[in-house]
Amino acid sequence: MEYKEHILSSIQSLKVNPVRTGLTMLGMIIGTSAVILIASIGQSSIKYITNELSTFGTNFFQITPGGDLMASYSGGAAEPLTTEDAEAVEDADIPNIESVSPIGFASRTVSANNLEKTVLVYGLTPTGQEMLKPEMVYGEGITDDDKNSKVIVLGIDVAEKLFGKDSDPVGESVKIDDIKFRIIGVSKSGGNLFGSFFNSAVVIPLEVVNNQIRGDDDLAEIDFSVTSTGLIEETMDDVELFFRDRRGIKEGEENDFTLISFKQSLNIVETITGLLTALIAGISAISLIVGGVGVMNIMLVSVVERTKEIGLLKSIGAKEKDILIQFLIESVIITVFGGGIGILIGITFAFIIALVAGLPFILNVPWIIIAVVVSSLVGIVFGLYPARRAAKLSPIDALRSE
Amino acid sequence: MAKIPPLIKLVNVTKHYHLASGDYCQALNGITLNIEQGEFVAIMGPSGSGKSTLMHILGALDTPSSGQQLFKDKNIGAYTNDQLAEIRNKEIGFVFQTFNLLPRTTVLKNVERPMIYGGIPQWERTKRAMEMLSLMQIEGKAETLSNFISGGQVQRVAIARALVMDPSLILADEPTGNLDTKTAHEIMNFFKELNMRGRTIVVITHEKDVADFAKRHIMLVDGKIVSDKKN
Repeated sequence: MEYKEHILSSIQSLKVNPVRTGLTMLGMIIGTSAVILIASIGQSSIKYITNELSTFGTNFFQITPGGDLMASYSGGAAEPLTTEDAEAVEDADIPNIESVSPIGFASRTVSANNLEKTVLVYGLTPTGQEMLKPEMVYGEGITDDDKNSKVIVLGIDVAEKLFGKDSDPVGESVKIDDIKFRIIGVSKSGGNLFGSFFNSAVVIPLEVVNNQIRGDDDLAEIDFSVTSTGLIEETMDDVELFFRDRRGIKEGEENDFTLISFKQSLNIVETITGLLTALIAGISAISLIVGGVGVMNIMLVSVVERTKEIGLLKSIGAKEKDILIQFLIESVIITVFGGGIGILIGITFAFIIALVAGLPFILNVPWIIIAVVVSSLVGIVFGLYPARRAAKLSPIDALRSE
Repeated sequence: MAKIPPLIKLVNVTKHYHLASGDYCQALNGITLNIEQGEFVAIMGPSGSGKSTLMHILGALDTPSSGQQLFKDKNIGAYTNDQLAEIRNKEIGFVFQTFNLLPRTTVLKNVERPMIYGGIPQWERTKRAMEMLSLMQIEGKAETLSNFISGGQVQRVAIARALVMDPSLILADEPTGNLDTKTAHEIMNFFKELNMRGRTIVVITHEKDVADFAKRHIMLVDGKIVSDKKN
């Protein structure tokens, strides 16, 4: 018998009871849509973070005070990093280090035109500014000549808040703690993750943050760029040894500072996303199995209901193979259609979530292929037993059944 | 000149079943029977006489427990399920009392179905099916779903389907059981006409006036032939 005929007659059988067919598909729909949604969002997140990190490049690492990342931001508790530390590590001539950028910051209110905005004030050196690669909308960034001068680069959001949209405030001034700063530029960051952070922050020379705003030499972090990404780990080891020695940390004692590279941050994100994807894929696999059992159950009911039909088909010449294929095609149609609908729903939700969360939308093709293959396999595996039962029915038993 | 072999030859055929209750049931008890090509035979008997079992064996739906079952001189008693399916497809056309047609399927598709299993291409299937529907004077219902036609029309479609593979034998099991007398006579007249054109027909019935259309009457009681008369 031709496959086209098998498929047509299977579709016809399924159309007879659309509600039952739909409910049978539900397990497949939920399973596949969950897989596609999670795989797609997971990949979107990784892509997003990779994009962010690649704005800075992967040949960077940073040191922050405190034994772990959280301690470094809790403030006070940990032994601080200072500008002296930054100078010392720069002077230590550690191999492969391209540049050293101490970064200081404070939270303050910036005001102009009777408007004000509370922002993070970053103290950067020209090298540090170069590392962060801001996109200049107006004016210039901080240069070596600006050391100790009260100049400021506004993030685009701050500029718009204080001076209005599309206005060039270069040459005007703003006040922080009653100190007047001359605006030399407005910057925008390419990325979003750190970028939006800088868009609503301001940048002034590091010396000014320390001397005029904070009144101490403490740094938030020191960033290092390395000549090549491959040398990051050994350079980090050198820097770690340097700081352990400088801070008098004895052998066996924990570090009171944290070293982390952007690459490591990316690895952490990838690991978390990978685990989450695996977890959801596992749950979805269970849902697919439950869906498959549902398909098998309905197909068994269908075989019993259609016993007389099977008898009739056998009496007019249907072979076991013909009956087997017809029932198998029915279960595969249920699972593949269910899987297809699930894929469409998964893609739609992934798209909506990406749109709302501002993530890049990624059509996860390998997972779609996996979903289609798995759906067909579920149909074949769980449809085989009912189909074999139908095929093995004796024509006289089938004709006799009431 | 070589003699034409009988279409069906049964020699001392028995058939017994083991029932689910564990009981043993002897449905056929030493049947010896020849059905020649071109005959119109009525097999009669009270219920439980074994006429349905005999029909299953004549129709290659079942094989005997013992004895010889020849179809056109071939010993089909030893055939596999798929070989029997092929005999049913090419050599035998069935007309049942109930559940003759696939539900929710058009009349045309029902008639085409045996040709699908017979590997006949689509264009020829439609052509032959329409020819048979015209022969049975029901071509106007070709696109109607089988559950929307009357009982008499169902039997005519079933006969059209039975004829479509041009089989050697038409086997009808109580074909008029569900019909009023007038329609029943109409259907039996169709069989008579087909027989007059040379088709071999075997009808299983318990109604005397249905059997009267046939030229030969075989009477079964308790799995044995008790009379075999020609009209």
